[in-house]
Amino acid sequence: MLEPWKQKVRQRYDELKKLGKPFFPYIIFKDTLVIFLAFLVIFYLAAAVGANLEEVANPTDTTYNPRPEWYFLFLFQALKFFPGSLEAVAAIILPAMAILFLVILPFIDRGPKRHPLDRPFFTVLGVVALVGLVSLTIMGMEAPMLNPVIHRDPQVMAGYQLYGQLHCNYCHSIQGRGGNAAPDLGTVGARHDRDWLTRHFRDPNQVTPGSVMPQLNLLPEEIDQLVTYLETLGKSEPFTAAAPKLFSENCGACHVIDGNGGEAGPDLTAIRTYRDKAYLADYIQSPQQHNPETAMPGFKGVLTDRQVEDLSRYILSTQRHHH
Amino acid sequence: MRTLVDWLDERLQIREIKVALFDRKIPKGVGWIYTLGSLSLGIFLLQSVTGILLAMNYSPSPQFAYESVSYITHQVTLGNIVRGLHKWGASAMVLIVTLHMIRVYFMGSYKYPRELSWVVGVFIWLIVMGFGFTGYLLPWDQKGYWATMVGTTIAEQAPLVGPALAKLLRGGDTLGTVTLTRFYAIHVLVLPALVLTLIALHLFFVVRQGISAPPERDKPDGPHA
Repeated sequence: MLEPWKQKVRQRYDELKKLGKPFFPYIIFKDTLVIFLAFLVIFYLAAAVGANLEEVANPTDTTYNPRPEWYFLFLFQALKFFPGSLEAVAAIILPAMAILFLVILPFIDRGPKRHPLDRPFFTVLGVVALVGLVSLTIMGMEAPMLNPVIHRDPQVMAGYQLYGQLHCNYCHSIQGRGGNAAPDLGTVGARHDRDWLTRHFRDPNQVTPGSVMPQLNLLPEEIDQLVTYLETLGKSEPFTAAAPKLFSENCGACHVIDGNGGEAGPDLTAIRTYRDKAYLADYIQSPQQHNPETAMPGFKGVLTDRQVEDLSRYILSTQRHHH
Repeated sequence: MRTLVDWLDERLQIREIKVALFDRKIPKGVGWIYTLGSLSLGIFLLQSVTGILLAMNYSPSPQFAYESVSYITHQVTLGNIVRGLHKWGASAMVLIVTLHMIRVYFMGSYKYPRELSWVVGVFIWLIVMGFGFTGYLLPWDQKGYWATMVGTTIAEQAPLVGPALAKLLRGGDTLGTVTLTRFYAIHVLVLPALVLTLIALHLFFVVRQGISAPPERDKPDGPHA
């Protein structure tokens, strides 16, 4: 036997249904019109704005600051309010609880009252949640995003912030962003070691005579933070001048790097976006172990271990140049 | 035409289906805001068609993914439009499904007898977000790569299951070749299968139970007294 309130809900629904109009053609007309208008907007955006394609993925570029799609911004922004070990609260626990709440909602909020004013608790809760989500999204749109590698190491993070506060980017640039009065710092981590960088920050003129960089009078820990950040830039390992020659003699007949070489094997330009050095070095020495079908000869015994290392570093340093 | 309909009706009783689907009455007071559900379905169809067109020219390996997306954008006839439609359609999908959910929440339409429609709807919303997350990586450009890096790092922090979950998503300890093929498989096989099943259920509930009527104030002498 149905509870009385449920019977009343059904009765009232049947009454309203009798007073209503048939789905075809009245409701379907409204639906079609709205879909048509929405498609017009989407077509306009697709034609006028389109979908951009950035540079190819580069896992070594830790200066890149990712920005998620707008509908995930609230989550990324929420993370910033829960530093360190509490991050899991914002990232996982709160969203999981919110989803659980939504799933069980119809079993918590029961009974015949449907009007928002008749269920003040759930209405207020909904408004608060919406205001929260929208503000987080807006804050996320305005706040700068940080690369996760920078984000994970507080020293690097502090150095990154100092770099901004000291306006280093007025003269220096990293990955094409900044001024060009002073050297590009995009690969500074590969060019100078910690000791050099530290001495440089204490007195630029001492290590680079004639440098116009001002002496910044930084605290030792500030220098430490800046150096730690700069060390993360351009981490591809140095190779010798013999490496490009090794490549053209041994690999160039079948492989292309940056437009030069043969076509029998795959293009190796920017292979670092999906292979690491250990894999590459091992593949050069015994390709059949990784790919039994390959026609590539193994270079074990042909090249020394040091040559293989040199060659791998060279191949991994190559980057695709886009027009 | 008439005879064909008669012939089919004699065997499949298609006129009954027509009555159940098209002649059913929609309760009085159902306004424009009730079109959000149908609109979600419309955008889903747009995403399916543009997604299939994109898949015809896309290569899910890190070696060729970027090149193939670049090829779609610059060489394929209307390729940039199809990519644009799929991208903006994705944003529209999230927006409209969310608005649909907000409408149902504030109108209390999830209440008796439509509890199951709501529960299924919550899972559809989650799948839509899953489509967005997995699709972002596929062009294999800087934005997609690093946003996915952040996303999987977040998943890693979940208590107990975090590291296993991150490993499952990435297909290993680092984000690489396997991650891309995995995301592609999830995006074009797993999620579509799940969402089609749930959409079918959701629509079945709506047609069977009828769309909820607009909420009415609870009056002592009113219908719910």
